[in-house]
Amino acid sequence: MRIVLLAPLLAVALAAGSAAAPHHSFAATYDQQETIRIEGRIVQFQFRNPHSYVHVEAPDADGQVWRWAIEWGGTGQLGQQGVTSQTLQPGDEVTVTGNPGHNPGDHRLLMRTLHRTSDGFGWGQRPDEVFD
Amino acid sequence: MSGRGLGLFMILALGPVAAQAQLGISGEWAGQYHEDRDDRVPGDVNGDFTGVPISDAARRYAEAWDVRRVSLIEHQCQPYSLPHIYRGPLQFRIWEEKHPDTQEIVAYNVYIGTYMQSRKIWMDGRERPPDYAPHTFMGFSTGRWNGDVLTVETTHIKKEFYRRSGLPSSDRTTVVEHYIRHGNLLSHVMIIDDPVYLTEPYVNSQEFVRMERGNQNWLYNCEYVMEVPTPKNDVPHFLPGENPFLGDFSEKFGLPLEAVFRGAEATYPEYMPRIEELTDEMSEASER
Repeated sequence: MRIVLLAPLLAVALAAGSAAAPHHSFAATYDQQETIRIEGRIVQFQFRNPHSYVHVEAPDADGQVWRWAIEWGGTGQLGQQGVTSQTLQPGDEVTVTGNPGHNPGDHRLLMRTLHRTSDGFGWGQRPDEVFD
Repeated sequence: MSGRGLGLFMILALGPVAAQAQLGISGEWAGQYHEDRDDRVPGDVNGDFTGVPISDAARRYAEAWDVRRVSLIEHQCQPYSLPHIYRGPLQFRIWEEKHPDTQEIVAYNVYIGTYMQSRKIWMDGRERPPDYAPHTFMGFSTGRWNGDVLTVETTHIKKEFYRRSGLPSSDRTTVVEHYIRHGNLLSHVMIIDDPVYLTEPYVNSQEFVRMERGNQNWLYNCEYVMEVPTPKNDVPHFLPGENPFLGDFSEKFGLPLEAVFRGAEATYPEYMPRIEELTDEMSEASER
């Protein structure tokens, strides 16, 4: 099984001087009391505002592959953390943890951590690697 | 010099001095979020309608609201309108536009980094455009100094939202702003009127700090993408009575749902006894 329930993660709130205004409320969109993990392959990386999205194809417990839309930070905040439009590429094998959307059928996550298998690149482990 | 000539001389001589005595608000300002942070930055859970004097029409709209609607391509890059944009994360730049002959301030130009919005606050006493003139997200603004307070009145604002929880604003919204500078801090007070979705003026305030060092986060490359794959023409919504998330805020903070939805009445101290009454009822119900 590649989707695992994890303990809730603590979101670190930082000053949001360069945050992008999210067009929707995170708490309203995602269940922030729950965290799940997926393992799969990136099919698209949208580095943009208001928020970036990483699309990952990952199998569920029955082996059925779903396309997950994983919401990440805007270009300003991610840029300050060293993330660029070229950081992730289609085909990258990644493990992602995040808060699931309130509607399970949407297969969407709010990014908490990301780890790329090939070179160990990671995001979300350092205190400053958060976004608003 | 005749008496009339002397009078004219005095007016001309003192006029510029009076103008220069106005506080300067030019510069680059960044938002502070210690106040109402959950609402203003990450956003709170569904169903937060507290503190806003909502009308029945706003209640109905909010009950049908599905937060996923803003993920539709048509809405992803829709700017916040004037009464909303100062509530979110933002930085803005103000600079003066002066008449070349008199050096009087004709207007304050404002550029807001979020959604790359520009507005102009006319200071030259010009008339407002007619009601049928196009509405924009930033509206049409005129300003005047009252002592050290810059007061700005804005009309012709597009329909949008007061909160991301689905509280709508109408295109009949008008806003009065007060800019009050204390050194490097700028207090910003908004008094919002909306005959469609508010029953009383909605007042809120924000603080901004002057940036000593500029930064380059002034562009906002909002790009329309398929954020979450959805069927074409599907518009997320809830039919009356079917919104499963409406009580989330009420449950999170242990507030009676009636109080959360009450609008203006629940914003006054006189409503406290009613909240206690409702809370007691909730306690009794949970014990049964």
